[in-house]
Amino acid sequence: MSHTREKPDLPVVLLSLVALFSISLLLQNLFSLKHALLFIIGTGLGISLLHAAYGFSGAWRDFIRKRMSRGFRSHIWLIALTSLVFFPIIGGAFSGLQASAALAPIGLSVAIGAFIFGIGMQLGGGCGSGTLFTVGGGHVNMLVTLLFFIIGATTGSVHLNWWLSLPDIGKVSSITSFGWLPALLLQLTLLTILYFLLRKLEQNRHGKVQALIQPAIQQSFLQQLIFGPWPLWWAVISLTVLNLLIMLLAGHAWSITFAFGLWGTKIWSALGGDISSWTYWASGYPARALNNSVLADTTSIINFGIIAGAILAAALAGHFAPEKTITKRLLVISAIGGLCLGYGARLAFGCNIGGLLAGMATGSLHGWLWLVTGFAGAIAGVYLRVWFKLDKPVKA
Amino acid sequence: MKKRNHWIMGSAIGIASIAVAIDHTSHTLPKPETNIEYQSDDEESPCSLDSPCSLDDSLDESPCSLDSSPCSLD
Repeated sequence: MSHTREKPDLPVVLLSLVALFSISLLLQNLFSLKHALLFIIGTGLGISLLHAAYGFSGAWRDFIRKRMSRGFRSHIWLIALTSLVFFPIIGGAFSGLQASAALAPIGLSVAIGAFIFGIGMQLGGGCGSGTLFTVGGGHVNMLVTLLFFIIGATTGSVHLNWWLSLPDIGKVSSITSFGWLPALLLQLTLLTILYFLLRKLEQNRHGKVQALIQPAIQQSFLQQLIFGPWPLWWAVISLTVLNLLIMLLAGHAWSITFAFGLWGTKIWSALGGDISSWTYWASGYPARALNNSVLADTTSIINFGIIAGAILAAALAGHFAPEKTITKRLLVISAIGGLCLGYGARLAFGCNIGGLLAGMATGSLHGWLWLVTGFAGAIAGVYLRVWFKLDKPVKA
Repeated sequence: MKKRNHWIMGSAIGIASIAVAIDHTSHTLPKPETNIEYQSDDEESPCSLDSPCSLDDSLDESPCSLDSSPCSLD
């Protein structure tokens, strides 16, 4: 397959490299090597996400609208590979390695939150990771989505206590219930069934199934690595490895949305807003994060790294800040989408990364509930896109 | 259009950087009136409020290990 590559945007490439180098040194100097490494890992995530255009919202939309399952199947691979490395760690198979599972109660808060997030993914034009890397890629409308993502996450954290009063059956960990190896085998079996179900549905619609690994494009490995585009499976491998490094360094799986609520609360407080009644921020880790520099928070550092990495990758690929007609209607829909993303993610104990991927890959059954209700929300979102005239009607 | 988008992105990143800098300095700069009082303590203990030790502590306790955390809220 031939590939015409754009010229790299050299000024942006140089500025990004200087910024990456300076911020890493600054973090090491102000805090620790751990902080600097987490920022660099975030940068790697940003590069991987942008070069592979690896998002959840577009892939789920392709499946819902056209029964094209290639992207969705790559998510199954990502969850499976991440589970493969996380289950033994969480299960205590390696003495000396301590890490926390992303456990959350299985209840209405997660179900409703993930459903709202699913709608937001389609209206906002990106999921949690997708919003960050498209902002880094210079998509101006995604700045609006991110701004309202932050507002939504902040509002969600204020209302969270009420949502948590709704019925739930508590936290259920398959690793604690069955042991890490049987739980892993069960998880991989369920993921395999889901994988082949997606393949079957694509086969039924199109008579063939698009291969996950596409033919290589005509450029050297190094050129493709630096300038992109990456095949999906490169992203699956790199996201798994980088997520593992986050787990080893920070002691928890990759998560995104907590930082958005933190930023919103800090901004509201700085503007003179009263946060004394916001109980979520009154104790535990949230209180400490609020009372520390934003640069001390691991999720914030990783998010900054993702944006920085995506800027660099987009500039290398020659499509930073692409031309795109942005209408007022698109901005309004992006704002609604952003609010749904933020509010839903807070209720659902995380976005597609911190709730779905981290939940499932660390054995928390709320991750499976997130998948089902988040996907249902995405279906509703796809039809809302048609209603908002962003897309043509869905063919049966 | 492309130049305009560059400017918008540049401005957004610039504003965000300033906000992070303001937030960071507001948490790490000592209050002027207490600066003299704390000077001798700072020299004795490497783990004062401004030092890397106290900030490292926040990392050692993972957000996911706590009940009121981003990953496992109660």
